[in-house]
Amino acid sequence: MSDEHGKLAVKSAPYYGGKLEIVPKIPVKSLEDFSVWYTPGVAAVSKAISENRELSFEYTWRWNTIAVVTNGSRVLGLGDIGPEAALPVMEGKSLIFKFLGGVDAFPICLNVKDPQKFVEVVKSLEPGLGGINLEDISSPDCFYILDRLRQQMSIPVWHDDQLGTAAATTAALINALKLTNRKLNKVSIVLYGAGAANIATARLLEKAGADITKMILVDTKGILHSEREDMDELMLKHPWKYELALKTNRAKLSGQLPDALEGADVLIAASTPGPDRIKKDWIQRMAQNPVVFLLANPVPEMWPWEAKEAGAAVVATGRSDFPNQVNNSLVFPAVFRGALDVKARAITDTMALRAAQALAEYVSDEKLHPDHIIPTMDEWEVYIHVAASVAEQARDENVARNPLNYDEEFVRAKKIIQRSRKLLMSLMDQHFIKPLPKVD
Amino acid sequence: MTELVFRKAEEKDIPRLVELNIRLKRLNEEFDPLFKTRDDIAETSKKYFAEAIKSPNSVVIVAENSGRVVGFLKADIVERLFYHPKIEGKIVEFYLLPEYRRKKHGAELLDYAVKMLKDRVEIITAEFPSLNEIAVEFYTRLGFRGIVSIYARES
Repeated sequence: MSDEHGKLAVKSAPYYGGKLEIVPKIPVKSLEDFSVWYTPGVAAVSKAISENRELSFEYTWRWNTIAVVTNGSRVLGLGDIGPEAALPVMEGKSLIFKFLGGVDAFPICLNVKDPQKFVEVVKSLEPGLGGINLEDISSPDCFYILDRLRQQMSIPVWHDDQLGTAAATTAALINALKLTNRKLNKVSIVLYGAGAANIATARLLEKAGADITKMILVDTKGILHSEREDMDELMLKHPWKYELALKTNRAKLSGQLPDALEGADVLIAASTPGPDRIKKDWIQRMAQNPVVFLLANPVPEMWPWEAKEAGAAVVATGRSDFPNQVNNSLVFPAVFRGALDVKARAITDTMALRAAQALAEYVSDEKLHPDHIIPTMDEWEVYIHVAASVAEQARDENVARNPLNYDEEFVRAKKIIQRSRKLLMSLMDQHFIKPLPKVD
Repeated sequence: MTELVFRKAEEKDIPRLVELNIRLKRLNEEFDPLFKTRDDIAETSKKYFAEAIKSPNSVVIVAENSGRVVGFLKADIVERLFYHPKIEGKIVEFYLLPEYRRKKHGAELLDYAVKMLKDRVEIITAEFPSLNEIAVEFYTRLGFRGIVSIYARES
């Protein structure tokens, strides 16, 4: 599967010369028009903004423009491949932003490894942007960078590998628990893998009402607990994991994943590609009808059918060719759509949680099934619903410069997203976009 | 909130003291390669505490939670040959398990030690790796100031 996709991608990359370009959206009939769009006319617009900087959100593209920023230090499963090599991924992300959320996103690949310097550089981009999507930055730097930028910037800052994954996972879990008659505040959750995704998921699940003292994180060294030998090292090098070690696992269970799974209701694995990372008999140790998420890509920690055979009632993976794909792409275009439309000053954790809840509730009771706990990307109206929910939450939390209620944003988001999709279709129809090249 | 009990260390505490001391020294290891712990740290620690507990010139205090030792402090009483004040109570080891930090237990443990030393010493000092900013912040907050620096290089 991925071989064919890879071949086509490599062939297409030079054929199209990347994936995005900037296209004007105002009429230009003659060079005369530039006197309006550019000097001298534009000076009046600049003057107005200089008198009220907030107008930059209305008088320029700022209302709908974000940067997808990376330093290429942890790109997909490829590791630290550097900013140039990260560019195709950032282009792809920007494409999804435009197609599914109508958001104008452009890739910025920084040659900046030092997290403090990275924060300074990204901060300085604020005046020209409506939001920041951080991408593919190694852990634990990504936690520091996100926390700092969220504190210091007055536009939404999102790190998709943390928040996007956490929101999608939370959405899937809400529905999986519904199917298995469990309550979030009662379940015991084991998180296998303590990277950006699972640390953010643990934090978001706590916000959602999960009992964090019953949560157990397992990393490469085994079960995390407050007296594990490397705690002092974590305090200095990875305070985010350290904090979770103090809050989770009140019983101070130690050992490895099979020990953690004993009697657990939920397993959320976001570790390293499988298969065979998780054994069937470990799943059998879990409570009756457990919920098992196997989120490693491209190959889940164990094959989903193996988890089912071992008794799992609901299984989800990160893959589109299996049922229940826990997919960030269901979240980030919509979250930014909603946040941008209300000119939000931030995307808070509770806005991320609201996105997760909206995503979960989009699966109606009639449709809810062990093989359908989360919408798929082709249900495009889900984006409108999530955007409207996020916008409303921003309003409720007073982080919206331009408060909108659910219905108002629903209409607006629908219009913008539809336009974006139609635009692409019409560019293809009119052959401004060439058909895909043939691969030998 | 958890209440910790403080008391003088006894011989029975030695195995636990060794364990906590290894954690402390491994923490120091993070601050400078010149704090690389030795392979015989367990045996050395055992002897070290056995002597300290008996010595009239050392004070070893343990912090207990429900009968379980979760932290300790060791101070030595030394004479300052050339300066006034003359007698110094020097805190040389100080460790609390992570879950007991940031809850004022550290300050309580220090207070307890100061009370024990009060009649015998004129100043209290504490030594720790220069780059341990948490310790700098802790002692500064409690009224300490830096008076000595130790610089090192490999010969």
